[in-house]
Amino acid sequence: MSVKTIFKLAGLAMAFGTCAQPTLAASDLALQKGHEYLAVTNYPNNLHIIDAENDSLYKSCRLPDAFGPGTIQISPDKTRAYVLNNHYGDIYGVELDSCNVVFHATLSQQPTERARAIFSIGLSPDGKELYSIVNPTRMNRDNYVVETPRLQVYSTSAGLNAKPERSFPAPRQTTMLQAADDGSLFVVGADVYKMDPHSGKTEVNIPLRNWTRPLYSPPDVLYVWPQQRPQHTFNLLYTAARFKDEKMNPETADNVYGFIDINLANGKSELVDFAPITEVYFTGARSPKDSNLMYGVLNRLAKYDIKEKKLLQSASLDHSYYCLTINKAGNKLYLSGTFNDVAIFDADSLKKIGNVKLPGGDMAITTAQIFTR
Amino acid sequence: MLTHLLRRYKPWHILGVAAPLAICAAPADARDAQTIIGQSCAACHAAEGKNSWSRISHQRKTPEGWLMTIARMQTMHGLVISDEDRRTVVKYLADKQGLAPSETETARYALERSLNTVEHIGSEQYNQMCARCHSAARPALQRRPAKEWEHLVHFHLGQWPSLEYQAQARDRDWLQVALKEMVPLLAKEYPLDSKAWSDWQRHKPQPAALAGRWSFSGHMLGKDDVLGVMTVSPAGKDTFKVAMQGRYADGQSFNGSGSALLYNGYEWRASVKVGGVAMRQVLMARDGEMQGRMFEETHDERGLDFHAAKSGSGKLLAVQPDFVKAGSETELTLVGANLQGKADFGPGIQVVSVLSQTPEQVRVKVKASADAAVGVRSISLGRLKGGSLAVYQQVKEVKVLPAFSVSRIGGNGGSTPKVEGRFDAEAWSQDTSGKPFRVGVMPAKWSVAPFDERAEEDQDVKYAGKMQADSGIFTPGDAGPNPARKMSTNNAGNLKVIATVDDSGRALKGEGHMIVGVQRWNNPPIP
Repeated sequence: MSVKTIFKLAGLAMAFGTCAQPTLAASDLALQKGHEYLAVTNYPNNLHIIDAENDSLYKSCRLPDAFGPGTIQISPDKTRAYVLNNHYGDIYGVELDSCNVVFHATLSQQPTERARAIFSIGLSPDGKELYSIVNPTRMNRDNYVVETPRLQVYSTSAGLNAKPERSFPAPRQTTMLQAADDGSLFVVGADVYKMDPHSGKTEVNIPLRNWTRPLYSPPDVLYVWPQQRPQHTFNLLYTAARFKDEKMNPETADNVYGFIDINLANGKSELVDFAPITEVYFTGARSPKDSNLMYGVLNRLAKYDIKEKKLLQSASLDHSYYCLTINKAGNKLYLSGTFNDVAIFDADSLKKIGNVKLPGGDMAITTAQIFTR
Repeated sequence: MLTHLLRRYKPWHILGVAAPLAICAAPADARDAQTIIGQSCAACHAAEGKNSWSRISHQRKTPEGWLMTIARMQTMHGLVISDEDRRTVVKYLADKQGLAPSETETARYALERSLNTVEHIGSEQYNQMCARCHSAARPALQRRPAKEWEHLVHFHLGQWPSLEYQAQARDRDWLQVALKEMVPLLAKEYPLDSKAWSDWQRHKPQPAALAGRWSFSGHMLGKDDVLGVMTVSPAGKDTFKVAMQGRYADGQSFNGSGSALLYNGYEWRASVKVGGVAMRQVLMARDGEMQGRMFEETHDERGLDFHAAKSGSGKLLAVQPDFVKAGSETELTLVGANLQGKADFGPGIQVVSVLSQTPEQVRVKVKASADAAVGVRSISLGRLKGGSLAVYQQVKEVKVLPAFSVSRIGGNGGSTPKVEGRFDAEAWSQDTSGKPFRVGVMPAKWSVAPFDERAEEDQDVKYAGKMQADSGIFTPGDAGPNPARKMSTNNAGNLKVIATVDDSGRALKGEGHMIVGVQRWNNPPIP
């Protein structure tokens, strides 16, 4: 089965639904310093903070406008959550202690423009700037013109009518981005680009569509969860065919899963095949306590030995989950996305140890974030 | 590539146009189309002189194509237009800027709502760039100059920004491929100006010629052959009254009546109530014949292929059934218009008696000798030739039709009804040189089985729906998550469809493949 077919089947298997709805927790509850939390978003437009020490819902904030995709970024000082929402068209900044919305940017810059950010939201290391690459379309009276994507740079202190401080042309087809500690941006697209948010200079940092790995097909990347990992890495999964020989026969090729981990402290990256493809994972991440362990999730939860390229263990799930988050200690896995419950698994035994029901509906394609206030 | 696709939204349901073009005649005091366009469309579409507007006047489409365009203006661009005005504009544009009959021939299945068609239009690239999301027929049923195809590319990516991130798009520079490679190809394959269209405009026949008596022959998938007479009478400019009297091969008769509207001189669209069920006719009316499909408005999978000949000049359409076993005696019915003369089925087949004879149907009893030459032969009636008859000794193979199909879960309180699977068992034999030939559709016993190990493990046979053993009609399961299934998944499934035909005591099996899919949320007139 080809990689593309697997993704198509995974798409068919996705189920959606809503469950019984607990009431919203108080919105003005302050977060406790040194405490670990998990942030997720869901329909109709909630931002939930789960206490990751006792695994219960801590508080919920109501967001303005429409839901989708609900991609979250937590500020470096852990006081704010920024959410890409309103059908990929707006970014909101929320004070976590008060639930007050303190930042709002409409990504379109003209009434006749439609700009959408495809999971593109990131923050500078000092939290003073917010980045988003948008895909604009000019809507003329009787026709549309697709325009060049732009990196839009905002000041996070710009308030509720934020306008870009700077903007630069960007490549097409980009998705997630994250800033490294030196301030440069890693942007995932046809290749992984490195972009200077001050000059707009863009170069290929990790070739993907244009990689030159001998006997490999170009990789396929469908990864739209820019998770801020405890290891301070930026990670994604890829799939590719590894051919037997120069004939490059897809029938006899091995289809492999791999990961890319970019160390945001020093900008160095790893690109490693870790498993044969036997099923689809929407997200995956390495353990903070053992960097040779890789977890993946969609219709099952799986654990791999990276060096041995071997499945160590797997666990069945009550329903599909898209987004896998690991706590700082590396002993708990939080599964979110689809439906409105976060499942918690023991990272060693892969036994289910908890479940947090959320008020509201489907989490859909939310990006969960784990952080310590 | 199949025309079954998942869609994310459903403007067609909101508009209530999932089924069809309305066919009512406009009242006498209605505004004319140019006035409506001048008032309702010209806010965005600049006038370019008399009866010409930007974008609108540089494209040609089918009636369904124009309906979809205007409906899209309503759902996406805020157009407010009454149903009556929309009908007037669709009629005007479909007549003035339609397609010639020959320009629709390769893609009529899409207009006819034959949604289990496996398409064979265009290159691999065309199918990846265009038919990945909708049918290959949809662009093939439009004509535009390069600039208009270019506008279409920009509209697509501007309206659906995630398009360039999907499989078979994120592996390439989608926008550049669309603009630099697809636009020139589309402008060449499907140009605004063509000889076929200018010829058709000059020689469009008079619609009055359609009034009269039509004899029809057809076949309903999962049921039987049909035949009968359709009477067409004029009811205004391009509009007609329709009355049908028909009969299934098992003797069951039906009556229907309704009305029809003719677009562009040949695109016949009728709405006919048959035994309380609203049915649509999507036919091409040309040269004394009408051909296409007739189907239920709310279940377009329930339908029949339809071929009619107008009384006046002789035409032999078909023989029902279209096969006979060597050494047997059977009844055959010739269907056509102005039938007269003696039936001739060729050597080895003797007409024992003529049971009845009308200008539309000739029923005969024939005896096929045991040594009648096997194979498919032409037949004649008097000086008329038409239809064919297969003579066979043994069924060698059974094919399930359609070989690959999609039915859909539905109902259960949701907005979308179930889409049935409907099947025929088609018998094949071999001639003396071993070459396979089609015998015809035979009764069968029907069942389903897991298509693969996964389907077996997931118990798809138990959950995905029920097959009626004697009819070949499959009713899919209820929509929505099913708590009884693994991970509460829905009742989708992957099944083999098995037909068992009895040929004089020998059981022959045929197999098809059916996906029991999820609902088709977006169901526009052209898929």
